[in-house]
Amino acid sequence: MTDDELLDQLRTRDPAASLPPAPPAQVDRLLEDAMSHDVETRPATGPEGDPRRRTPLTWLVAAAAVLVIAGVGAFALVGGDLFGGDEEPTATSPGTSQTTGQTTGQTTGATEPTVLELSAQPPTTAKCAVVSAQLLGLQETAFDGTVTSMTDGVVTLEVGQWYRGGDTDLVTVQAPPAEMTALIQAVQFEHGQRYLVAANDGFVTACAMSGPWSEELAALYAEAFGA
Amino acid sequence: MRSVAEDARRERFEAVARQVLEPLRRYLARRTDPATADDVLAETLLVCWRRLDELPEDDPLPWSYGVARNCLANAQRGVRRQHRLAARIAVVDPPSESVPGPGEREGRDLGLERALAALREEDAELLRLWAWEQLTPAEMAAVLGVTPNAVSIRLHRAREKLKEELRKTGEAAGHEETNGRRRT
Repeated sequence: MTDDELLDQLRTRDPAASLPPAPPAQVDRLLEDAMSHDVETRPATGPEGDPRRRTPLTWLVAAAAVLVIAGVGAFALVGGDLFGGDEEPTATSPGTSQTTGQTTGQTTGATEPTVLELSAQPPTTAKCAVVSAQLLGLQETAFDGTVTSMTDGVVTLEVGQWYRGGDTDLVTVQAPPAEMTALIQAVQFEHGQRYLVAANDGFVTACAMSGPWSEELAALYAEAFGA
Repeated sequence: MRSVAEDARRERFEAVARQVLEPLRRYLARRTDPATADDVLAETLLVCWRRLDELPEDDPLPWSYGVARNCLANAQRGVRRQHRLAARIAVVDPPSESVPGPGEREGRDLGLERALAALREEDAELLRLWAWEQLTPAEMAAVLGVTPNAVSIRLHRAREKLKEELRKTGEAAGHEETNGRRRT
């Protein structure tokens, strides 16, 4: 068989051969959606995907991840303003400053573990401030937990230690696919790994406040929540 | 009110994005399920918008494929891990939309898909970029972040491996056909 024959054979099996072009309206919407986002020129310093390869493209992914992290963050924390300010945390949702009644834990029986349900917010273009104990201290919910299951759309964590805002055995994070994908990229949830997770108003906080367990992050949590 | 620079930027993005959008859509449709393809296309365009300054003037497509490739890898990590297998199967063995063309024997086509699936993922991807995206080795190199020389060598080997697999599965099919339809 020649290369040309091989090429012909492969082309007859192109899965996209029968894909009709995108309707112009859809194209317009896609472009407009992309352009509605802020252009940020911060250097890419976020978590990178595959440590084996660090081609320029890998850094592109890293940059994308940084942008997603920036997007998921619920805080439009523009550096400086918050520190020393006497105002409320500038979280995006109304009513976020109310700490009472946000623990939506449900007890499903004497033998069943208790569960706190959290969600993820749609990506926004908010910028992230540098993580500090002071910022963390504004979080209503914080815990140290290990991912015990990841099914489509739901991440379940077994809580090892509560820092604030709950006393349940498990925490589930449930969100629509787009939000979930963004959150998982931001926090890097992986089955069996240990995480420090913070949340406000029932939404997991990205912006590097929630992430894989590390001594540095744990020290920040301890400082923030006086554990 | 938007500044002149901002308007110019939007103009350039629109021009480039309209050019690469359809190829990117196809690229993703060949590699994942429709829902993921939609998500990743939007994500890819967003990355292109934000990194417009780095987008090559003369031939933005390979660079854009590279972005899509990474966005797709991101999307498939983690919670989508289980789904990836299903998506790959759907790509390798699409359900109904790919009917055999005139003069094609069904058994032979299934053999091709199996042969492709039997290759290492890196080899199969090179062959897809070659046959479906119809890229040159230099363009593939830009997508994959390797040298054109390496692409040429690997592509040559991948083609030979695929031919070898085809010979193997072709023979197997020949034996099985006497027992009726093969398992798909």
